[in-house]
Amino acid sequence: MKTWRFCVNAGFFGRRRDRFTEYQPDRTLEEKFDLISRIEGIDGVELKYPVDLKDIGFAKKLLTDHGLACAAVNVDIKDAVHFRYGALSAKSADARARAVGMLREGMDAAADLGANLVSTCPLAEGYDYPFQIDYTDAWGHFIESVKAVASYRKDVKLALEYQPHEPHSRILLGNVGKILHLCAQVDVPNIGANLDIGHSFAALESPAESAALLAGKERLFYVHTNDNTGDGGDWDMISGTVHFWHWLELLYTLNQTGYAGWLGGDIAPKQFGPVDAFGTNTRMIRRMITLLERIGEDTLENLIQQDGNTAEIYDYLSKVLISGS
Amino acid sequence: MNKLAIISAFLGGVRNRYMVYEEERVLEEKFRLASRIEGIAGLELCYPADFENPDLLKKLLSDHGLGVSSVNVRSRRTGKWWRGAFTSESAAERGEVVDDFKRALDLTGEIGVKRITTCPLNDGHDYAFEMNYIDAYRYAEETFAAICAYAGEVKVCIEYKWNDPRVRCLFASAGETAAFCQAVGVENLGATLDFGHSIQTGERPAQAAALLARAGRLFYIHLNDNDRNFDWDLMPGAFHFWEFIEFFYYLKELGYTHDWYAYDVMSKEIDTVETFNTVSGVTRRLEALADRIDRQEMARLMKQRNPAQTLGHLYRTLL
Repeated sequence: MKTWRFCVNAGFFGRRRDRFTEYQPDRTLEEKFDLISRIEGIDGVELKYPVDLKDIGFAKKLLTDHGLACAAVNVDIKDAVHFRYGALSAKSADARARAVGMLREGMDAAADLGANLVSTCPLAEGYDYPFQIDYTDAWGHFIESVKAVASYRKDVKLALEYQPHEPHSRILLGNVGKILHLCAQVDVPNIGANLDIGHSFAALESPAESAALLAGKERLFYVHTNDNTGDGGDWDMISGTVHFWHWLELLYTLNQTGYAGWLGGDIAPKQFGPVDAFGTNTRMIRRMITLLERIGEDTLENLIQQDGNTAEIYDYLSKVLISGS
Repeated sequence: MNKLAIISAFLGGVRNRYMVYEEERVLEEKFRLASRIEGIAGLELCYPADFENPDLLKKLLSDHGLGVSSVNVRSRRTGKWWRGAFTSESAAERGEVVDDFKRALDLTGEIGVKRITTCPLNDGHDYAFEMNYIDAYRYAEETFAAICAYAGEVKVCIEYKWNDPRVRCLFASAGETAAFCQAVGVENLGATLDFGHSIQTGERPAQAAALLARAGRLFYIHLNDNDRNFDWDLMPGAFHFWEFIEFFYYLKELGYTHDWYAYDVMSKEIDTVETFNTVSGVTRRLEALADRIDRQEMARLMKQRNPAQTLGHLYRTLL
């Protein structure tokens, strides 16, 4: 099986809160790196722009000192001050220009840090109510803005992270079909997806299928690892704690499709803290990979190639999973 | 006619995990905003935030001529009671919660209010095997029994909710809440039916109201709406038009008529006063539509259980 690279999203190492509770305090970049370096098996960091990259030289030094790579630069374009009514899809040309400008700055930072990958979750692009926005206009602006970002420099990839909802009840880029549509419209090779597994579950998808669709169009640039109960909430739970078999299928599919990117942890540390949350997340995924090796890729592939043998597949999988059964 | 109130917190800072739409407002400012909103007769106050200076609170209530629908006792606090207030594994913490509710009840008594409500948001779990459910129900029964014993004449309402911030809250539905209240076995423990929570958890709110009322546990109503995916706290009627009409129709049948509705609606990027002006106006229009229903005719139609007839009748006579 392929070599896997694990990184973490630095955004989860600072202040964490939801609408009800504050769980984790604000932390400096040094403190975030200190925590990240305590997690076993982590080789990279997804850094937030602008908050983590006010001083790129300093970020570089911290990366070197801790022996970590910059996996991606995550550009935040969702504040309620500038992007109250949208960012890339906003009616306001100023808001769109600002969002495009920030993503271009993020691309420069990503190139400087050797990541050559920018990720952004376009959560300001959405709506709550019927009749709230003009969908044709909003999508038109969205596509044009993404084109303007992508054309800025071809050596950096832009991974858009789709999510069905939150903070709006509907986000424009809500599922794998919509991002494939966006990629087809923009039609340049450096636009693709950050497949967040929890977002995919929240969008009622099978993430392995979404990964296969994206990989088939060479649009799978990045993967965020987590899990949730598939009931609409984006809980950012530890991978495999809910959707064990789906997770196994995802890892199998990523391997089959030759995914070469990072597995980026995106886990809510809630009250137990990021070191435990991300440590267990990484170990759970590694153990699922070990289990897949024990199952045997070729055996599994042969089983899947047949029709009508779902019962046989699960009989085999569970026999390997539960030794002695 | 039921009076309209706004939960004071929704006149303050408006934020979610991604966005801060409005910064926190001081109590005076919340009262000033409430006074500018058409049709609003009162506030649902939040404890402890609104009770830092009880004299100021009393003065503001009197100066603005606003009533109080209920006191919302917050069961989640930053920095403590993280693993549940009523169901904490720590007996000392549960004791602290009871003591805090007693303080809240004393202050509620000082302003002459006969109802407290609480949403046990952190009393739940994220992961399988995280919590011992059997112990959790027992802890909750003991904690609420102690609070209710102290409350005396004051009604204690549990606002049930499916999830958020926990993946699964302990009290997710009208049925679970009614069963719990009956297990505790005291008359002053009941439910706050939040319309949006009811929708999100898969209920039909009119049915939930009927179930709770039959059990003698329909104590209080919160109004808002969502698309069933999450508790978005959106404006009533934006998604569930007929469910709202059915709900208002039933509340009269069930005798919830000279009480309060309290709003938890997130104004988000829209102006707060404008949002609640629309919310109160829409509520009264939905009530008026419900009142247009000829109750004798509806009773006759329901006996037939023929939705083809009933829906045709509703569209012919209401719109």
